Amino acid sequence: MSELSIVGKRIPKIDAKEKVCGRAVYAADLRFPGMLYGKIVRCWAHAHAKVTKLDLSEAAKVPGVIKVLGPGDVTRKTYNAGVLDLMVSEKMGKLLGDIEDQPIFTDHVKHQADGICGIIAETEEAAERAAEKIIVEYEPLPVYLTAEESKNPDAVQFSPLKPGNKAFELPEPAFPNNAYGWGDVDAGMEKADLIVEDTFYVPKQKQCQMEPHAYVAIYDDRGRLNCWTSTQMPKLVHAKLARLFELPMTRVKVNQTIVGGAFGARLGMIGEPQVCAMAMAIPGRHILVQYLREEDWVASESRHPGNYWMKIGFKKDGTPVALDAHFTSYKGGYYTQGSGVAFTTGAWLAGMYKYGAMRYRGDSYYTNQVPCGAYRGYGNPQTNFPLEQLVDRACNELKIDPVEWRKKWHKDVGDDGWCLGFKYPSCALTECLEKGAETIGWKEKRKKYAEQTGIKRRGIGVACMNHTSGAMPMLLEHTVVSVRLNEDASAEVILSCSDLGCGAHTALTQIAAETLGFPMEDVHLLTGNSDASGFDIGAHASRTTYVGGGAVIQACEDVKKQLLERAARYLETDVDSLVMEDKTIFVKDDPEKAVDAKTITTLGIVYVPDPETGKPEGDPGQIEAYASYLPPHNSPPFSACFVELEVDTETGELKLIEALTAYDIGRAIHPPSVEGQLDGGVQQGLGNVLTEETYYDKNGLCLNSNFTDYKMLGPSDMPKLTNILIEDPDPHGPYGAKSCGEEGIVPPNGAAANAVYNAIGIQIKEAPITPEKILKALKETKNF
Amino acid sequence: MKKCSITLYVNDKKHSLDVPVNRTLLQVLREDLAMTDVKYGCGAGECGACTVLIDGDTPILSCLTLAALADGKHITTVAGLEKDGKLHPVQQAFIDEGAIQCGYCTPGMVLKTVSFLAKNAAPTEEEIRKGLEGNICRCTGYEKIVKAVQQAAIKKEGGKV
Repeated sequence: MSELSIVGKRIPKIDAKEKVCGRAVYAADLRFPGMLYGKIVRCWAHAHAKVTKLDLSEAAKVPGVIKVLGPGDVTRKTYNAGVLDLMVSEKMGKLLGDIEDQPIFTDHVKHQADGICGIIAETEEAAERAAEKIIVEYEPLPVYLTAEESKNPDAVQFSPLKPGNKAFELPEPAFPNNAYGWGDVDAGMEKADLIVEDTFYVPKQKQCQMEPHAYVAIYDDRGRLNCWTSTQMPKLVHAKLARLFELPMTRVKVNQTIVGGAFGARLGMIGEPQVCAMAMAIPGRHILVQYLREEDWVASESRHPGNYWMKIGFKKDGTPVALDAHFTSYKGGYYTQGSGVAFTTGAWLAGMYKYGAMRYRGDSYYTNQVPCGAYRGYGNPQTNFPLEQLVDRACNELKIDPVEWRKKWHKDVGDDGWCLGFKYPSCALTECLEKGAETIGWKEKRKKYAEQTGIKRRGIGVACMNHTSGAMPMLLEHTVVSVRLNEDASAEVILSCSDLGCGAHTALTQIAAETLGFPMEDVHLLTGNSDASGFDIGAHASRTTYVGGGAVIQACEDVKKQLLERAARYLETDVDSLVMEDKTIFVKDDPEKAVDAKTITTLGIVYVPDPETGKPEGDPGQIEAYASYLPPHNSPPFSACFVELEVDTETGELKLIEALTAYDIGRAIHPPSVEGQLDGGVQQGLGNVLTEETYYDKNGLCLNSNFTDYKMLGPSDMPKLTNILIEDPDPHGPYGAKSCGEEGIVPPNGAAANAVYNAIGIQIKEAPITPEKILKALKETKNF
Repeated sequence: MKKCSITLYVNDKKHSLDVPVNRTLLQVLREDLAMTDVKYGCGAGECGACTVLIDGDTPILSCLTLAALADGKHITTVAGLEKDGKLHPVQQAFIDEGAIQCGYCTPGMVLKTVSFLAKNAAPTEEEIRKGLEGNICRCTGYEKIVKAVQQAAIKKEGGKV
């Protein structure tokens, strides 16, 4: 590959200065003349109830209140906050059983903080005072917090379309026997010398993005519904709002504001339907809805928790002859992305190791918690926790080094990826394992820790990960990019790709500048206007740099070709003889024969007759190109993660020492952003496995919807972080890049659990692995 | 709600206001003075996004501070750090070290760092991590933020880390 001048460079992020100066505008920072405040009134006292009485009249009388809206005052159409229906064919959507079961305001409360009505007022304070005057009565219903409870035949039904409260299972026509995998698992197990089997629990983790959800909307005087939101998916939310409010898409606009973190929390719609319903009720006025942190916590989607049974058969030499697994997740109160995670959890399993046969079953049941949706990793952390622990249990029994086993049995180039039949085009996992083990001192530490006897025991664990770069061929992957050259040969790159803070817009600008051969400052990314840019799925499945980058390259190459072709005609030479440096186009063998790029672009735009010849010079028209891009692959990245920690066997407390990630990135377009994604992912992954879970009391009321009671790892809790980037360019990715958005969170789950296992010889089957669980396990074990 | 008259000096600019006695400094800064560089993250003093400096370099959580109690005080928000078009060394270090992702915690994190380095010009890594406790970042794992604080310490004070 030729030398790159911008891609791969450690330049400052394009949005860094506005953020460090406090000038970046998030949705809640917007101010408009005459702006009103909206408040969603929620049911805080019940997780499952029928609204038997709703009297809004007293609230409407509160000074400063403009309007109060009940369920009957807004569209009665229901929606699905998720977006899978816009990413598969209609036929596939039917097959998967996607349904629209969410009302804007409800009279059947299905989780705590379900919205029952809305208030629009001159001030936030007036809206809050009015909320206290809402007269509401409830008939409490039985509360179901697990699949076992809600699948009971006598249970209250969440939706007539989902009998038995079974929101989803792998559908028979696409998945014979409702299972995903290959080979004869039962026959495989027969051949096994060793079978390891257990049921694990994976927790309900919250994204905890720092910017709470906030929105502004106006139904303007031209009959257009405008919504400002930090959604991950401006184009899909645009389409969903048009559908919900029965408006042509030309009468809807989504303005994407700076995204204050997302991690899946803004995948699809959250509060957009409610704020837009308020805007429709008071045309001509901007309305701001700012979620409180507690509202954000209990009224927007989280990770899918559930029970994960897994069984793996091995030959004595470590050959994994068969794997059988079943994940039952707790869906929460609404369907949303019901089909997604239940499938992908098994897909990541399929993509990891070369089991002789595999059978995965996935289903989910409605429960009375906040609905589960997308969270970084999308089922992958859930799979990592049981899989990597069972592999280590087998390695321990068979006396095989866990790193060596993984090197031998991980899937590799040419093997089926997570989508069976779709082969891996690149894989540097063996190198990740080798370099990671060497850097952290794996062999020495494993040997040393095997001989420990004291109160404090150290452990080191390893886990692997496969993920994806975009979700094709399972889901639509489509990004449209337009590139226009201005008079001065600077480039406007118009697209709808989101930057969730991870640096995607910096990386896409680098890719555009590199491809055009322009400096960074001559490229501007125009984003955030859903009516100005072409289609884009939005930020999910770690796709933005990979798919967006591919689209940017295609459009930029087209523009550059047009520029050079025009220059060839201008210089009366052959296009193949031309090169461009510093935006001067010249003949390779005759550098005197040259023209500025801006001369060519100006002549195309200012197409007027030359006073001497009476004819215009050059070719007419502004140089412009567009790519409607569907990527050829999903180039999965891989990584190996090593975690070292110390367990206090008297208190059960854990101290993290180091987390090392060796990562198969293909190419790091913007290395600081790649490292930032891995660092942040590791913080969330270690949290998922060690400290983080949203807890509910028996009535389904959340016990820890705040940063004090929900424990995330802080700056002093974090271990030393080490990243090793393996750059072996992928054949399909932009400049060889693969994704890195979600992956950092995945393998710390297995690696930390395995480090605990290494330290104390016990596997903890319920995440998060808290000191209480460790202490309990130690007390139940005679060795301690 | 009963009101009181207060004077605030925000980033060296004087503001005389009549505010309800229960109004927080965060509300006054964001809503009444349109200083949206101060962020609402939790409203409960748990995340540090609303951090501002009071009377020089003392960090306070503006969501937990009644505006009335800030009467007569000098308040610095992140918008007040840039002088004559030049970024504060801490701001520059955050950019240089790639310590900014979504940016929502950044104003509070930068101000906390400014106050911390004023008290301890040459902190150890452990001291930096302790000093940042109370300010939550969900994007960076704190790694590059800690590096930025180290860089700022070196550049600002010529101190050793």
